[in-house]
Amino acid sequence: MKTMPTLREKKRYIAFEINSDKTIIRQELVREISNSIISLFGDKGASEINPSLMSFEGRFGILRCAREKTNETRAALACINNIRAIRVSFHVLGISGTIKGATEKFIQQSLVKESEPEKRIKK
Amino acid sequence: MSQYDSKFYDFFTHPDSAELMAALARKYGFSGIVDTNPKINEVIILPDDFSIYRGVEIQAKSSRIREEIKKHRGSNLILLARGGEEDINRASVESEGLDILLQPSEFNNVLAKAASDNSIAIGFNLGLLIRLRGDARVRELKNMRIILKHARKYKLEMILTSDSSSVYDLRSPREMVALSSLFGMTPCEAIDAMSATPKSILRRKSPNYIKEGIEIL
Repeated sequence: MKTMPTLREKKRYIAFEINSDKTIIRQELVREISNSIISLFGDKGASEINPSLMSFEGRFGILRCAREKTNETRAALACINNIRAIRVSFHVLGISGTIKGATEKFIQQSLVKESEPEKRIKK
Repeated sequence: MSQYDSKFYDFFTHPDSAELMAALARKYGFSGIVDTNPKINEVIILPDDFSIYRGVEIQAKSSRIREEIKKHRGSNLILLARGGEEDINRASVESEGLDILLQPSEFNNVLAKAASDNSIAIGFNLGLLIRLRGDARVRELKNMRIILKHARKYKLEMILTSDSSSVYDLRSPREMVALSSLFGMTPCEAIDAMSATPKSILRRKSPNYIKEGIEIL
């Protein structure tokens, strides 16, 4: 059954990039994110943040969280420094209200930005 | 959003590879870092509008700290001291010429007053929040709250540093703001701590600077 728009949970999508030299498995990433949130804010805080990983490919990913808790989620992501002994660092590219917005505005743009310097060399 | 347009600096890094660190810091939106462990004769290709300043970390016994600071005072190096026990904090705060005292434990009103007299900035070491877990992190957060309370009361300059030794320890300015909100710092204070305070320290270190309130016309 469809919930009324006023009763729906308000959410935000965080587009992030992972900086590491090895590939990371999705399951381990999910576990590490929830570990970090729980160790920082406890079970109550984690239930309010309500995190869920929407997509993760290569270095980029999208994480869903509650609208009022974007800052807390950002802090929890920043606290992650390793995933199963692989050194990583998170960089939040941007926060959007829709998955489409997060992908188009932040992930695709950062891919375009990276390919620009190569173009310059070719000229 | 405009408040994130200012220039950001990370004032305590000791990278293995300064070049990689500089490239990543530029990407994250920093305009300069301080390297406290510079290698001599290292040729670094810097990205556009980015600079690496040299700093020195004072490591000595509490009885030797004053002499160490005096030794480096005249140079244009940025002087940092890692806070710790009461006597180390006391010695570093009371000697003129130090720029930053990083994360002193057991901070109190006497130290705060001395720091404000000698215009020493108090550093928050966010790297500890990233690396530590559990009890140790709780202790550091508690300590940071106490420092913040005193810094507000005595209007001390605050500075946020990442204490990063590799590229994986570096965090972008917005993440630093989010981390600093964990111990009660407002976004405005955090942004000032990354842009205004470093700028004023750099101004004090520039060759044209003589003393507070005096300038060459």
